[in-house]
Amino acid sequence: MSDDGPRLLERAKAGDGQAFEELLTPVLEVAFRLAMTMLNDRGAAEDVVQDAALKAWRKLDRVRPDAPLRPWFLAIVANECRSARRGRWWRVLRFPDLRSTAAVVNMEERMDLATALEGLEPAHLLVLSLYYHLDLPIGEVARVLHCSEGAARVRIHRALAALRPAMTAELDA
Amino acid sequence: MIPEDPDLRRAMDHRSGSPSPEFRVRLHRVLSDGRPATNWLPALAVATVIALSVASVGVLLAARNLAHPSHGGPVSAARTASPSPLPTESPVALPTQTFLSAPSRDIVWAFVDYRLLFRSRDRGQTWERRQLPAPESAAGRLVFTFTDSDNGWALLAVNPATQCQAEGETIWHTSDGAVTWHQLQTSGIAEAQCKQFIAFVDPKDGFLTAWDDNSPPTIYRTSDGGVTWKPSRLPDPPGFKTEGGGFTLHAQEVVRPGNVLLVTAYGMQESGGEGYVFRSIDGGAAWTYAANIPNSAIAVAFVTESRWLQVIIPGQSVETTDAGKSWHSYASDYGQAAPVSPQVVFGDASVGYATVRGSIQRTEDGGLHWTMIKTPGVAQPG
Repeated sequence: MSDDGPRLLERAKAGDGQAFEELLTPVLEVAFRLAMTMLNDRGAAEDVVQDAALKAWRKLDRVRPDAPLRPWFLAIVANECRSARRGRWWRVLRFPDLRSTAAVVNMEERMDLATALEGLEPAHLLVLSLYYHLDLPIGEVARVLHCSEGAARVRIHRALAALRPAMTAELDA
Repeated sequence: MIPEDPDLRRAMDHRSGSPSPEFRVRLHRVLSDGRPATNWLPALAVATVIALSVASVGVLLAARNLAHPSHGGPVSAARTASPSPLPTESPVALPTQTFLSAPSRDIVWAFVDYRLLFRSRDRGQTWERRQLPAPESAAGRLVFTFTDSDNGWALLAVNPATQCQAEGETIWHTSDGAVTWHQLQTSGIAEAQCKQFIAFVDPKDGFLTAWDDNSPPTIYRTSDGGVTWKPSRLPDPPGFKTEGGGFTLHAQEVVRPGNVLLVTAYGMQESGGEGYVFRSIDGGAAWTYAANIPNSAIAVAFVTESRWLQVIIPGQSVETTDAGKSWHSYASDYGQAAPVSPQVVFGDASVGYATVRGSIQRTEDGGLHWTMIKTPGVAQPG
């Protein structure tokens, strides 16, 4: 949070929409990119980021003035993405999501990386997106996931293993 | 050490994008409406759990002290959720999620934002807020079905296992228009598979669909209002082969638009997504393949036994009038903001409702013309 952060935070907590928007603006781009990688659908990503913004504003009283806003907001976005993927029509409309990790493994030789990402379990997709796509430092990845840095590293390795088993085998060698 | 992976970065970049100016404007408008009020539902749910727990312990202690023998009791009403005053909530912001159940032309139910249940008895002109089968609704996926203005069932699916090998469920019934809900003590539903939809076609006959990543979907049927259930499996349709690892069908809601039962099922093959319609003429004991779906990413609306629609946007909607043997272009004026499949339900052969991202449209001429109606519980656009 910038020098103005605490003041903006107080104003936003008091209901000042402009102040909340100013707080949100620096993290909006990265939040939207996370939602896009999680959902692979612009409309759905817009929906979850909007919902996440409203929820974040509602819960803003829980944020300490010295706490970084980005991991906190990204955790809310990630939760909203999980909810969206559990939604009723998601499985009807997003056929690639019907595929499990096992299916990706079975078809690995025939599917490219983008298709494999589509079939990845949401938890794996989230951690890969945070680290590889959003370039968050491992400490911030851990804060978004509410785990230790070591656990975050383990999750990244597991997600890579689920995505491309051969790659992990190379690393282990 | 975490490996570098430029290929993965490129793949994710390709999948990503930036927020559009239109979205930024929309978000600005939503935020201009002011800070949303605190959502008290989770706290209310916890309080209700505590209250129910205390009440249950009290009942058990009283029963023990009285040494009162059990008489078995009714099969239903194992637990009852009664209405409780809800604190004032801020309106839901669109877009959101709305799910509809239309048991007749005038009666339509809407489940909005996964937390608000409404009933309309005048085709969506006016809405009444109704009760959820709390408090469990906060802990799982809730799906509703109604057969009239009073009788309804709620499926609460909880704790899905990996690849949906198993999932728990509870089924609730209301006979007073969702003022109170009673949990049914059900039998016959296996723990295996995730429970997807519940649909009742009359107050006795209902269906529950279940799926997993490794086997064909199951359609459970009941003929006693949801207490006892029997399973049937959907067969592989022509050209579809069920295989482990996700290449399985997912059955949707069973409907009865006439004398037969119909259900759509979607699934993945190596060639891509496929959709099919199945029918049953024996109350759901056996299901047979009926037809392929032309656009497998769009839900099918069964208007009558033989007339089915896929409404998408003007110029793309299709219709069959011979139960899927042939499909032709249909000049519906249905349109929507988002290029996603609407949920479309018909109360009879003329009146139907469609919803996408929370907005609801109604047709009164079998799907040709549609008009927007108010979504209950949401903030009106400024």
